[in-house]
Amino acid sequence: MIRQLTSSERQNAAVIAIAVAIVGLAMAAVGRTDVLGVHGVMVMLFAGAVLFYVLSGLYQPEPTEDRETSYYDDPIKVGIVLSMAWAVFGMFMGVWVAAQLAWPNLAFDAGWSSFGRLRPTHTTGVIFGFGGNALIATSFHVVQRTSRARLAGQLSPWFVLLGYNLFCLLAVSGYLIGVTQSKEYAEAEWYADIWLVIVWVTYFILYLRTIARRKEPHIYVANWYFMAFILVVAILHIVNNLALPISWGHAKSYTVWPGVQDAMVQWWYGHNAVAFFLTAGFLGMLYYYLPVRAQRPIFSYRLSILSFWGITFFYMWAGSHHLHYTALPHWVQTLGMTFSVMLLVPSWASAGNALLTLNGAWHRVRDDATLRFMMAAAVFYGISTFEGSFLAIRPVNSLSHYTDWTVGHVHAGALGWVALITFGSLYTLVPSLWKRERMYSAALVEVHFWLAIAGTLIYVFAMWNSGIIQGLMWRTYTEEGALAYSFVDSLVAMYPYYIARAFGGLLFLIGAVVGCYNIWMTVRSAPLAAPLNADVPIAPAVAGE
Amino acid sequence: MDLDHNSVVAFSKSWGLFYLIALAVGVVVYTFWPSNRKRFNQAKNSILGEDDKPWK
Amino acid sequence: MPEIFHRKLERSAIGLVIAIIAAASVGGIVEIAPLFTIDETVEEAPDMRMYTPLELAGRNIYVREGCYACHSQMIRTLRDEVERYGPYSLAVESKYDRPMLWGSKRTGPDLARVGGKYSDFWHVAHLTNPRDVVPESNMPAYRWLARTSLKMEDLPLHLAAQKALGVPYTDEMVENAARDAYGQATPDTDFAAGVATRYGDETQVSAFDGVKTDVTEMDALVAYLQILGRLTGAAYENTAAPEGKPNPEG
Repeated sequence: MIRQLTSSERQNAAVIAIAVAIVGLAMAAVGRTDVLGVHGVMVMLFAGAVLFYVLSGLYQPEPTEDRETSYYDDPIKVGIVLSMAWAVFGMFMGVWVAAQLAWPNLAFDAGWSSFGRLRPTHTTGVIFGFGGNALIATSFHVVQRTSRARLAGQLSPWFVLLGYNLFCLLAVSGYLIGVTQSKEYAEAEWYADIWLVIVWVTYFILYLRTIARRKEPHIYVANWYFMAFILVVAILHIVNNLALPISWGHAKSYTVWPGVQDAMVQWWYGHNAVAFFLTAGFLGMLYYYLPVRAQRPIFSYRLSILSFWGITFFYMWAGSHHLHYTALPHWVQTLGMTFSVMLLVPSWASAGNALLTLNGAWHRVRDDATLRFMMAAAVFYGISTFEGSFLAIRPVNSLSHYTDWTVGHVHAGALGWVALITFGSLYTLVPSLWKRERMYSAALVEVHFWLAIAGTLIYVFAMWNSGIIQGLMWRTYTEEGALAYSFVDSLVAMYPYYIARAFGGLLFLIGAVVGCYNIWMTVRSAPLAAPLNADVPIAPAVAGE
Repeated sequence: MDLDHNSVVAFSKSWGLFYLIALAVGVVVYTFWPSNRKRFNQAKNSILGEDDKPWK
Repeated sequence: MPEIFHRKLERSAIGLVIAIIAAASVGGIVEIAPLFTIDETVEEAPDMRMYTPLELAGRNIYVREGCYACHSQMIRTLRDEVERYGPYSLAVESKYDRPMLWGSKRTGPDLARVGGKYSDFWHVAHLTNPRDVVPESNMPAYRWLARTSLKMEDLPLHLAAQKALGVPYTDEMVENAARDAYGQATPDTDFAAGVATRYGDETQVSAFDGVKTDVTEMDALVAYLQILGRLTGAAYENTAAPEGKPNPEG
């Protein structure tokens, strides 16, 4: 990998690593009486490891050929490996916390392993670790192929990828040692947040510069989605995380937003993290890898443009549906509800567009589990966006809010849509990237598919049941007009579903492990002698829409 | 006071709606503009082509 | 004209960026902007008091342990919630809360009005092992909190940061933060009197965990739980008795 860098680029890499290590040292010094010091040491070790790698390859031969004649795939490969590693970690944490709800003694009486600290390691591990690395890797791939141009930087892709993973490490390790803002899906503290801003701005500039050097006149629509993902996540992250640290030597900070403002800002962030992290970015994947795998152009390009602007515009208004019947002003709740319902239009347009693309290729869906992953993802996307609009309606929300129904909804989206589209994309991407004819084992892809589907269905059905039962028990009255059930009654009714949910999650985790094995064996297998694309026909000429 | 809560809310409610409509019209016009059809068709087929190296 | 405009837009990466910002930001701005002036709509509560240093420290433990993942602190304007938990939550009640802890999931019950509902002793027993008190509970045990001394020397920094963000702590409160935290959990010492002077006579001064000599994280967390819903009486004045409160949907 270091062979792709010129010697001056290697020196720059070393300088950056040293600079980061110095920042780590400073953090360790000023924060020596606080948990901040622990993170300072971690930053130093991380930067030190990078530095060691760079220095050990400093005098390797420089690249001889013109790098601009090939795509830059090394960071993508590393990103895929990291993504799968985070998937296993994050999903394992998920199974563990799910099991704790059924068997609370699985916390083993320690602070770091209690539900409240492990839960954000699960959410951060799967959303940012697994999802984020997959987004970075696939966006690097898609932007190069659709622009017919190499990434506009040799070092910056590595900075983005490794810097992002440093952020994830700081976040996840922080929760275990008690560093958290307790802002849902934005728990990392101020210094990690600042670091992410630096990484993200680099990512944005790199992406923009790569698009600017494209040879295709038109920017393919997948890039629009990736672009929206990068841009809006930056805005959300900065606004939501504005905070005042109690001192430079402490990890603890207080958010600048008090009470009701904080609630609105947090859910504006929270819901748009769903929109632009977990939807827009993955739609970018969908609009590239699904047509490529099916070898059919997207059903309607125009529809993809309309739904792009619909999603970009409508989602931003929807966050307040998380705060129905609360102390948030009524009109803001109504606005959030209205736009959440309207969101169904662009969402179903996207899902329908994906499924109609497969029309005429259903025999391929039947035979190819990779394509089936993406087909199922589109179906789950349609289901969970419908469910989302439904749950945002105020009276429905009065039942579902605070219950497991919300958790079931999130996982219908996260497992059924986000994870399935990612696995489908990675199974498409891995053989082409490593220049293998196909995945090591088509049968294992098949096994993974059915484990993932079974796991998702068990999970969401368990949570739909438990959520609705819970919601109904809370509002059931006796004939005398008293509440019929105590809170504990409703908790007792949940236990069977908590066990079923943990089992569903376990199946999903096993599927991911199978996927890791399959990818690893693919990478290890012999590369193709002939150039790639033996089984990729030239684009068929399809006239009109 | 000029910028009290009610006037901000009123502004948001009225101009926000106009903004929404203007944006929707703009997007629809762009999407269905006849001369864009060729470019879109080209784009949707472009990703299926053989591609192992950046273009010169 | 639109043709030229859009063709440029599409062809230019920068144009795309600006268009995305224009489309995406306005939704947020329209929704968020009125919230900058929302303090005008937050109810008045002249009796509202701030968290004492010990309660703030307890709140930070609540934050650190991620309690919000299972407990909400937001009673909605629904009949069954009001009857189960008490008067619905008002915006003013979380005006000093950074971050807000309204929560999104009730694996356990809402805690917005848990203050004063149970004794200190009950809370300590429950936190030590929830299943001793509620056999069906699936809450983690936090018995190690009683073994962990509370870190009090940083508390002036915490209050100073809150003050900088607009919470009306006085300089005297900031200076005495560590002493006040100690005093609130050790009723027999000289420091106890200062807490009542600075934060009001109704401040609960107590050996929360039953140990009068040492201040632990258990003390702080219980002190926080006992003040939940009691910073102001505004919610009770506005809503009267639970059964008198009509269903807002009806």
